Amino acid sequence: MNAALGLSLVIVALAVLAAVEGARTARRWRIGRSARVDWRTGLAAIPKRYLVDVHHVVARDPYAARMHALAAGGLIAGSVLAALGLMPPLGHAHLFWGAVALAFLVALAGGAMVGRRRYPAKPARLSGGAFQRLPLLLAAYVGGALLVALDAASGLAGPLGWLGLAVAAAGGFGLVRQLADGPMRHALAGALHLAAHPRPGRFEGERATALIPADLDAPRLGVAVPADFAWNRLLGFDACIQCGRCEVACPAFAAGQPLNPKKLIQDLAGSFKAEPPTYAGSPYPQAPPVAGLGGPERPIVGAGALIHPDTLWSCTTCRACVEECPMMIEHVDAIVDLRRFQTMELAAVPAGAIPALSESRYAEEPGGRPLAARTDFAAGLPLPLIAAKGSCDVLLWLGSGAYELRHGRTLRALVELLRKAGIDYAVLGPEERDCGDLARRLGDEATFADLARANIATLSRYSFRRILTADPHALHVLRNEYPAFDGRYEVIHHSAFLDELAADGRLALAAAPAGRLAYHDPCYLGRYNGETDAPRRLLDRLGLERVEMERHGKRAMCCGGGGGAPVSDVAGERRIPDLRMAQVRAVGATTVAVACPQCAAMLEGVTGDVAEVRDLAELVLAAVEAAPVAQGAAR
Amino acid sequence: MSRTRRDPREEREARRLDGNARPRWRLDTPPSSSRLRRDPRREAEAARVPGAARLRLDRSGRVAGTLAPPPIAAEPIAAPTIRIIEAPAFLIAVVPDAPGGRLTPLDRQLLGAARLLSDAGGGAVLVLSFGAVDGLGAAGVDRTVALAAPPGGDPTMRTAELAGLLAALQPRHMLFPESATGGDLARRLAARIGEALFAGAESLTARLATRPAGNRHVEQRAAPPRLVTLAPDAQLPHTGTVHEARRLEAPEIAPAPAHDAILSVEDLPVAADALPLAEADFVVSAGSGVTDFELFRELARALGATPGASRMVCDAGLMPRAAQVGASGTVLEAACYLALGISGAPQHLQGVARCEHVVAVNTDLHAAMVERAGLAIIADAQQVMPALIAALKAESQR
Amino acid sequence: MKTLVLLSDARHPVSGRPAPTATELQAINLARGLADEVSGLHAGPDAEAARGALGHGLARLEHREIPAGHDPLPSLLAAIGSEAPDLVLAGRRAGAGAQTGLLPYRLAEALGWPIVADAVALAVDGGVLEVIQALPKGARRRWRLRLPAVVTVHPAAPAAASFALGTARKGQVGAAIGIPAPLDEPAMEERPYRPRPRLIASAAAGAGAAERLRAATQAAGPGGRVMVDPSPEEAAQAILDHLRAIGVLKPASGR
Repeated sequence: MNAALGLSLVIVALAVLAAVEGARTARRWRIGRSARVDWRTGLAAIPKRYLVDVHHVVARDPYAARMHALAAGGLIAGSVLAALGLMPPLGHAHLFWGAVALAFLVALAGGAMVGRRRYPAKPARLSGGAFQRLPLLLAAYVGGALLVALDAASGLAGPLGWLGLAVAAAGGFGLVRQLADGPMRHALAGALHLAAHPRPGRFEGERATALIPADLDAPRLGVAVPADFAWNRLLGFDACIQCGRCEVACPAFAAGQPLNPKKLIQDLAGSFKAEPPTYAGSPYPQAPPVAGLGGPERPIVGAGALIHPDTLWSCTTCRACVEECPMMIEHVDAIVDLRRFQTMELAAVPAGAIPALSESRYAEEPGGRPLAARTDFAAGLPLPLIAAKGSCDVLLWLGSGAYELRHGRTLRALVELLRKAGIDYAVLGPEERDCGDLARRLGDEATFADLARANIATLSRYSFRRILTADPHALHVLRNEYPAFDGRYEVIHHSAFLDELAADGRLALAAAPAGRLAYHDPCYLGRYNGETDAPRRLLDRLGLERVEMERHGKRAMCCGGGGGAPVSDVAGERRIPDLRMAQVRAVGATTVAVACPQCAAMLEGVTGDVAEVRDLAELVLAAVEAAPVAQGAAR
Repeated sequence: MSRTRRDPREEREARRLDGNARPRWRLDTPPSSSRLRRDPRREAEAARVPGAARLRLDRSGRVAGTLAPPPIAAEPIAAPTIRIIEAPAFLIAVVPDAPGGRLTPLDRQLLGAARLLSDAGGGAVLVLSFGAVDGLGAAGVDRTVALAAPPGGDPTMRTAELAGLLAALQPRHMLFPESATGGDLARRLAARIGEALFAGAESLTARLATRPAGNRHVEQRAAPPRLVTLAPDAQLPHTGTVHEARRLEAPEIAPAPAHDAILSVEDLPVAADALPLAEADFVVSAGSGVTDFELFRELARALGATPGASRMVCDAGLMPRAAQVGASGTVLEAACYLALGISGAPQHLQGVARCEHVVAVNTDLHAAMVERAGLAIIADAQQVMPALIAALKAESQR
Repeated sequence: MKTLVLLSDARHPVSGRPAPTATELQAINLARGLADEVSGLHAGPDAEAARGALGHGLARLEHREIPAGHDPLPSLLAAIGSEAPDLVLAGRRAGAGAQTGLLPYRLAEALGWPIVADAVALAVDGGVLEVIQALPKGARRRWRLRLPAVVTVHPAAPAAASFALGTARKGQVGAAIGIPAPLDEPAMEERPYRPRPRLIASAAAGAGAAERLRAATQAAGPGGRVMVDPSPEEAAQAILDHLRAIGVLKPASGR
């Protein structure tokens, strides 16, 4: 009997203990609804999903990526090797224990990085509590095991080995105890979440951002209690490692509204446990107090429950948290499911959202305006109705922005460009209902489904090649969410369309000086649909001086206009568009190019030191109008 | 340069022979007030500015020797004579709201409509009022009957009294304003006597009345029944002739008891600062030019106005969101809007578009709010607020 | 406490689609503050719009089927007789049709119950109903009356609940044949509505055209009085004088 053999035995014992803890954790997910999971594919794909998809997210923070690779890789490698030491030929080989020592040395280096990140001062986004003890336990386990391995490798078999074994056993036991409710839960739940992910398409290169239709015949609509979630969603909540990347990305959190995606996931993860682990991260900013009572069959949302409704309604559904989450958790799906119950069962929507939902339902337009007035913006520009033409090449979907003065200017510019490029276009006119985006994000799936079916029935009567829209929200709904209702269309955003026209030479562009310009990616275009290149290509064709904000592309910050947030109007300490405009000004841009009516409206609402807000269509039209003059001058 | 417009009704009234049950007119004299033919040359000559080398014409009428409009015989505004209708062919009864004995604008419009109805057939306008009402003669009233039932409170007694008068006096029509009080009373009466009510008429003649129906998509047209309520701003009030407003004794009507189920009716004191903005009549609003919000609230209390604010102030949390005026906040129906330190963004101006009077205090002469205002003070709102409070205090102590 | 809400066969004012009308939904909201279960009552050819109210907090709808153009009053009276509610609530105007707002009054008269119009708040204490009535310019009046009673609801009442599919699915509809009651008076002639210009009710109305024009442009257009950099005291006095001139402030008591 020596210390090395002891370490092997301790590790096997810990593995057994871990299996028991893991089974205890997994049993709790069984309260959830059933979900169809392709286990064979999922389990087989774990290494790829982990090494490619997860790493892609983690590597945005190189320090964290190195830290995790060293700590997790070293720990797993060392532990597995040390367990193999039970086999006599290996257990007596000095060289083998040298290799074990090397693995644990690597793990110790990783553990040191974990510690350095948290000590002496912990960044605000990281959680404290058990997470602060994690580097100590890690150091104890891998450090002790390192001593044992070194002892065995050197052949000394001295008291140092026994000391190391004791420390390693204590540290290892501590880590295993963290498996059910502590930080180490992420290892087990995270791996299984990769296998049983509710949106496997995300690992196949799809954006997979369409909301999943609610079953409107279910006995209970939406999610009221934890047991209403599918089991693999509960598993997903348990995968959270509280790294706080979502908290940093969340626009509502930045604006001091009572939402913190990290705490939300922790509340959901704690909601179905008898004794929820204590949370030691940033709270919901300025959230009204709640009773904090949870349980598998207890309501999640409400002043007498875990999450205050204001938290739910603060979300702009921008998906920044989902984009940043290394554990691939689906925050927005959870929020929309919870909203669905609030809206469709309790009718407990924010006061400001009631008129929008009612009008969406009864006037088929969230502002309650006549459908025929949607084309009023044109003011003399020809807008042929598809009802008169029967068919066209490009069907222009106007969206609810068409009623607003600001977006009307954009649409006039777009129509002007279509005419100049000789496009065969038409509009639905009074037959265009609201696409249902607002109702759906506010949880009113019933109204969304009615609008979707009515629009699809209208569209099915006409023949057109593709749908063009300047509203990324409509684009997302038509392109990604109508297929679930059997409406499949080729939908193109005006940025990509104008880029195509310019590439084909159908629009002659000339540089139109506009100063320094920054492009603000709409969430529903960039993050939801992955379209970040076409708008930039288009802007670069205009010969403008373009700068990038720190947060751009798929990681851009929301303008605050999505998910019904403007109508819900949850109070915060700041306004989201003010924060975004400050970011525009921080890179010295005097013009901010937008590609979405919501972004234009929100950013135009900022006062003080502001950049000019121009839609891509307006910028392109200015360049086209500059072009013939330039040619004429050259001639 | 204005041409005197003919008023055929006025001309005919001027030739009316008094003292007959049937209306008769003097037809022998040619109408002296008939429109004169214009003589452009003479007008030009009269408008010529004297002493100028080049011909200059001033048609504004300021130059001495301007062609005066031909004198119209017995200009009614210049010398009000009291028109007396001795023996009317019929009566048009009007029940004005007249809160506190003063006619409201809608009451005056109602009397204007009643005047037209009665003049079209030689009738007379009869006002049935609960309590004395001022200025009825000028508003075109021939007869008045003061009623016994108390104004305000339970309308059951008033309904019964009106039903009795309707039976006793047999007016051709009984008109009510389509207001909260008048509309309620008219419907109570219609239900009591089981008669049709032509509610919210937008045009009213003896033969035809119209009203909107079906969410204002349909216009209903019919000969007006006895009971009619008139929509606001559909008729012009009566002006010109003054009528005698002769007080009649109320016919004896058995007094009706109050409804025994109604235990009490009382008016509640309304604090202007607790009113929802949408209902407020006088709003004083703070923008970024206001920094002391305690002072601002004190001013609102002193003026008896409902406090509002611009979006920036609400965003900054200095005033509650419910106080936000504008397209994204509350669209006001107030009669008067006092804007302190608000420049007037387009969305904000949309919120005050329906305010009749706007007073602006702003440091920027070129602010949109200043342009919109009936009275604009180019000054620091922070300085004007204490002066206003002091002036109000001084007045109340005097 | 049994409350019945009268529902009309309403149409959305803009879209013209069947849609419950706002004050009727607000009435449901007020009724739910008095009793947990609120029933609705509709008499008419079909109840599609009234059925929509089930999603806004109504537990049960009673539909009395009568031919189009018939008087709903006898059917309503019969239904109220069998339901025996303590309180009948109605909207200010129906959501479609003639919209005279007369029906609640006829109902109250036929039942011999008191009626209070334009309620914004209700409370019940031992068979006595307290109604807060909205009057113009934000004024309020409190009525106390013994039940049963008929009350109509003002748009300033608390906002109605939004539509909830779950509630709508749970709602029950009881249908029965109503009492046919053809109207004896001839139907009014109807035409498409054309908005009339609001007549200017200013002091100059009725006077000469030029005066009317001046009054109109002064009231609406720019060109008010501007005082540049007055002393605060001058400014204050000018504002107070102006407010008095337009009748917003009462004349100073000392004068």
